[in-house]
Amino acid sequence: MVPQPIGAHVPEPPGRRAPLGEREFARWLTGRLAEFLGRSAEDIDPRTPFAEYGLDSVAALSLYGDIEDEFALYLEPTVAWDHPTVEALARCLADEYARSGGPARADGSAEV
Amino acid sequence: MLTPAEGTESTWQATGDGAEEELRIQHRIADLERRFGDPYDPDNPLGITALLDADERGELLAEAEDVLAGFQLNAEFVPREWGGRLERVDTMGRVLRAVFRRDASLGLGYGATSFLAAIAVWAAGTGEQRRRVAELLLGGGRLAIAYHELAHGNDFVRNEFRATPTADGGFLLDGVKQVINNVVRAEALVLFSRTDDAAGSRSHSVLLVEKDRLPEGRLRYLPRYATVGVRGCQNAGIEFTGCPVPGDALVGELGDGVELALRSFQITRSVVPSMILGGGDTALRTAVSFALNRQLYQRSVLEIPHARATLVGAFTDLLICDCLALAATRAVHLLPAETSVYAAAVKYLLPKLLTETTYDLSVVLGANFYVRGGEYGAFQKHVRDLPMISLGHAGTAACQATIIPQLPRLARTAWFTGPPAPDGLFRIRGPLPPLDPARLELVATADGLACSLAGAADELADAYGERTGGYGEALAALAGELEAELRGLQEECAAMPAKDRTVLASPRAYAGADRYALLLAAAACLGVWRNQRPARGPDGEQDPHAASTDFLASPVWLTVALTRIAKRLGRPLPKLPADWEEHLLDEVLSRYHEARSYDLYDTPLAG
Repeated sequence: MVPQPIGAHVPEPPGRRAPLGEREFARWLTGRLAEFLGRSAEDIDPRTPFAEYGLDSVAALSLYGDIEDEFALYLEPTVAWDHPTVEALARCLADEYARSGGPARADGSAEV
Repeated sequence: MLTPAEGTESTWQATGDGAEEELRIQHRIADLERRFGDPYDPDNPLGITALLDADERGELLAEAEDVLAGFQLNAEFVPREWGGRLERVDTMGRVLRAVFRRDASLGLGYGATSFLAAIAVWAAGTGEQRRRVAELLLGGGRLAIAYHELAHGNDFVRNEFRATPTADGGFLLDGVKQVINNVVRAEALVLFSRTDDAAGSRSHSVLLVEKDRLPEGRLRYLPRYATVGVRGCQNAGIEFTGCPVPGDALVGELGDGVELALRSFQITRSVVPSMILGGGDTALRTAVSFALNRQLYQRSVLEIPHARATLVGAFTDLLICDCLALAATRAVHLLPAETSVYAAAVKYLLPKLLTETTYDLSVVLGANFYVRGGEYGAFQKHVRDLPMISLGHAGTAACQATIIPQLPRLARTAWFTGPPAPDGLFRIRGPLPPLDPARLELVATADGLACSLAGAADELADAYGERTGGYGEALAALAGELEAELRGLQEECAAMPAKDRTVLASPRAYAGADRYALLLAAAACLGVWRNQRPARGPDGEQDPHAASTDFLASPVWLTVALTRIAKRLGRPLPKLPADWEEHLLDEVLSRYHEARSYDLYDTPLAG
């Protein structure tokens, strides 16, 4: 199977039309980080810096691409350096999401 | 002949394609070659014999350093606007080959090290910092790059050397840096230091520390490290104890150290491999000399088929390496949003290819491979130096770790969808836009080089049928295989688990980075070949580089280069026309006899 270039898409928001907030972003980030680190999500503390889990600088840079693909949020590659914990990054993403008119996108009107 | 033929100047100026600049570069290289003289002349005080002796003593040859000072080699590392000659990264690599082909220790120890340090200042320094560094280098001074701490290798984010911010806006330095080239004799250091206790990538900063501005007794040097290769380089340690430096030592912003390093590395990782091709030239030249002069079984070694195949293979590998080096160094100017992966790919692949090629050549030399002095001693020295310069500031693993996390996204969003690289990336003597480190992106967002493989087979058949001649079928087959390889890699990378993007990446992910680098090299070879213009223009104008243009425009080297790459990738190989080896061997021998370089530039050498 040839993979299709996947554009930005918004995941099913919890509770359908509810806007994505810090909690949802934190859940997604925790899951992502668990995949990166080969740990279970329960092991990831939202206030521990990514680097302390062994996520190196370059791998952390690649997170911004996942965020872009997943939520159509266009951020600096260094976003995970400047907001280096699940809690801090989730807050940043929620703010960006709200600023970019998030809830309107959550019901499927996202532009790539 | 070390200068371009008379009468070529006017034709080149008439074409208005950076010809004047190209002539300036050629004159500069010719000047440097002339100052050094024939390396193989045993009476030359700057020849291989003298350099080997200095290496045995663990010194840089003083007379050679004087020559480089007279040539003002440091000006190559200072941007033109600050009084130097640095305009293009590809040119820097090209000029430094003249030094590296004689002695890698000299290339690093006299020169490149200062550039590796200075680049952070050119990228992010204040006007005053740039002025001071320019003044230092142009005055013959040295700059050391103090990033390394033995305990952390390339994991420099774990560095412990501290620069604690003080109340007066300055810093207090405490800690040790190890294996720092020129640390004792450099007038200033570019220091990578921890400025924040927090874990992460915003806790380090770069400082420009000028020794004459420090109080007495706060720094001491640690003993020099004896090394296997580049023995002339003076690698020692340095320890600071509560040493105050003023706030204006900070390069860039507080906490920007990692970002600045990753940006600077894109330039240094691109250009250092280009420089070390000079050593590859010497290795091949030495082996050719041996093959021609050594009699075995009542014939010269050159008559042994295996020896011929090895020499031709080595020459082809040097061309492959140079194509990739060309693309990476020119990308710094042309494709700053893509250079992050290209720089890592060339720094990964080129030393690896060169090491393997050198090993192959060592088989030709037989027992002479082990001899440290004499006529063929330069070969053994190259073997020892190569791994040292390859490791330098970015080991193989560090480069792979830069490539791997970027592959999934490039696979999904760039390959087969983005535009191919511009022709300018492959024009070996073509002009370039100014160098602007600030434009280099930390993460590649496009990949024109890989994209140029898409549809390459059809393009070769449709647009270049006349030039491919008897090699057309083989070339189309190879281009098809390479495109298929990129497709396969795309599938794998798009499905790469997130874990593979970290240092915990699986061997499979590392293999993916290797395949990717080989594909980039293949794309670079194709690009270089496509951009060769016929030696004679429509109005009968003679290209001053007619001989090398004819060679590079012919399909033979390209076919053999792509075959060697396809072989490494494990792809099926096409049958080649019978004359390929003869054709390449002729070129190897004529470049040996006429003393012209074994790279894309076919540069006249002093011997």
